[in-house]
Amino acid sequence: MNLKRLLCSAALSGFMATSAMAASHSWDLATAAKPYVGTTVDVVFLLRPGYDAIEAMLPEFEQETGIKVNVIKHPYENALGEQVRDFVAGGDLDVALIDLVWIGNFAENDWVMPLADVQAKFPDVVDPELDMDDFFPLVLNAFGGWNGTIYGLPVDNYSGLMFYNRCMLEEAGFDGPPKTWEELKDVYGPALTKDGKYAYALQSKRNETQSADSFARMIWPFGGSFLNAEFKSNLNSPESQAGLKFRQDLMQYMPDGIVAYDHAEVVNGFAQGDIAMITEWSAFYSSVMSPDTSKVADCVEIAPEPMGPAGRKPALGGFSMAVASQADEAEQAAAYLFIQWATSKANAVEYVERGGVSARQSAYADPKLAETFKYIPALVESWQEGVPEFRPRFAEWPEITEVVQEWGTKMMLGEVTTEEGAQEIGTRMESILAAAGYYSGDKPLAQ
Amino acid sequence: MRGQASTKTIFAFLGPAVLGLALVGIAPLLYAAWTSLHFFNLTKLKRVEFIGLENYWSVLTDEVFWQAMGRTFFLLCTALPLQLAFGLGIALVLHKPGLTILKTLARLSLVLPMATTYAVVGLLGQVMFNQKFGVMNQLLGGANINWIGDSTNAFAMIIFWDVWQWTPFVALVLLAGLTMVPGEVEEAARLETKSWWTILRYVQLPFLLPGLVAVLILRTADTLKLFDMVFTLTRGGPGAATEFISVMIQRVGFRAFDQGLASAQAIILLIITIVLARIYIRSFYKEV
Repeated sequence: MNLKRLLCSAALSGFMATSAMAASHSWDLATAAKPYVGTTVDVVFLLRPGYDAIEAMLPEFEQETGIKVNVIKHPYENALGEQVRDFVAGGDLDVALIDLVWIGNFAENDWVMPLADVQAKFPDVVDPELDMDDFFPLVLNAFGGWNGTIYGLPVDNYSGLMFYNRCMLEEAGFDGPPKTWEELKDVYGPALTKDGKYAYALQSKRNETQSADSFARMIWPFGGSFLNAEFKSNLNSPESQAGLKFRQDLMQYMPDGIVAYDHAEVVNGFAQGDIAMITEWSAFYSSVMSPDTSKVADCVEIAPEPMGPAGRKPALGGFSMAVASQADEAEQAAAYLFIQWATSKANAVEYVERGGVSARQSAYADPKLAETFKYIPALVESWQEGVPEFRPRFAEWPEITEVVQEWGTKMMLGEVTTEEGAQEIGTRMESILAAAGYYSGDKPLAQ
Repeated sequence: MRGQASTKTIFAFLGPAVLGLALVGIAPLLYAAWTSLHFFNLTKLKRVEFIGLENYWSVLTDEVFWQAMGRTFFLLCTALPLQLAFGLGIALVLHKPGLTILKTLARLSLVLPMATTYAVVGLLGQVMFNQKFGVMNQLLGGANINWIGDSTNAFAMIIFWDVWQWTPFVALVLLAGLTMVPGEVEEAARLETKSWWTILRYVQLPFLLPGLVAVLILRTADTLKLFDMVFTLTRGGPGAATEFISVMIQRVGFRAFDQGLASAQAIILLIITIVLARIYIRSFYKEV
């Protein structure tokens, strides 16, 4: 990722916002939305707390603007396919919901408009208070930016965090969570795995969970990565192998059949008090803290993910919303107004209070909020140390993740060694990248 | 000519059906054939290009495809004999005279598994075979069997559900075959021998053959396109333990978005299905 271009793009957006402020002395949402009253904006949401939070706030937006937001809900696993089919067919979607690993795909296909283009096309809808600098730079860059251009504004943002059961840890004689992955395995693992309880669970089901939550989570802290600087596989490097072998060793302290565990199973196991520690997205905070869904709500504490030899490198995931190119002009302007409103500084605290995770730095400045939502300090710390290419974000990721999911699971099942599995993934990954034109120079080495 | 319908009438009767079939069956097939000859990835539509038989070559030389095919036939070879054995047993019991009301109830209850949506069967399976809370482990005396996360157990679970859902179909088809046996022939045979096997082998089996061939063809085709139940239950995992051919084609076509390759896989699957159907008919089917 060309950081300079990205910063320039962000600066340009900031400049345009400032210009808009000069041009419009008294900008307000209702006035800006007046030409678009009655417009319907079609948007995909996921079945997750961050989207329920926006939905709960929507009536206020609709009342103020007269714009109708038509929410189409999908589980995560269906969201990419549904959107791809809609954009390929020239469908109705006006807002694209983009997981950070889809951004290359959406941008290269011109399914979404660069933010600066939207702002230039509809200067009157640009909120002078947009304040792009208020977004965590890592989050804006990773979730909304591709190859130096900002497309989307971050909306449902996650960092991997360690959720731990303080009561179980104290009972075993620990006064805090492990600082490193090695400590988790060698010290906490044996002490907490007994009587049908497990020290740790790593969600590893064969879908994006295997690639993102399991495979990538283990290679980065040990110094590994998917690709080296030449875009060749780095999975058989000593560092990547150290991470993958560590995962194999750690499995002795996880429940049986961990390769069939998705987020729901891991979070549920933790909430039932069967698992002492999990590394999960910040988005699951409300599930483990609510007494309705968690038996251990009073014991839940949150810390950043443990560190490996290469540092913390926590899992990074989340979404941005961008204006769809296929929408007509009124829909594009209305879509922009909706995105700007949903991700605004003014609404960030309410969004957090309703169960969302905002990417606005200002939202977390209030120490009272951090007292109410225990995940905030760990989240803010994690976002200082994440890597945008935690999973490569180029257009080929949907093909590559399928390979990682298959062979990553086979490694965990012991059907192949970590070296054999890494070799298979590497060969297939390089073949996909070669066909895409990365090695012939047709495409820039951006991930 | 008197007594013969005019060409116009024939077209009027056949035309709508042929047109409908062409629209929903032939046109998509032709489009799939066209797609299979192109590099056609939904996320790279700017690069659509004719590549001849390259997709077919990729499929035929891809060991993952053949592993999925092998897995699918292994499922067919394990589930189908069980379905035939249980189905025949049920059909023979229901064919016996007496207990009319109970038999009617049994016939009705046989329809229930078949009427259950495939995807729902998968979701039921997830709950019932859950290692900790599932009823299956409770029924096995509180066993701690890891069904979904273990390769062998996951495969066994798929066989279980396939047998549960489709044994009734086999039973009903074979029962229909048994009712075709003329009463006097069966009665005469029973006077000649008390061996149920002899009666089954020499009297009833010839009448069961058309039904058996239909079962073979339909169950083979069904197994080759088995998707919903597996997708909701195991999603092809753990690893690739339950990645049957249709799950693989869906993965390539709709998760990796390579429609060209997926179309080539589907065309090859279609050819295999047609060849198998012809083999079944030639080998087993005989007019009674």
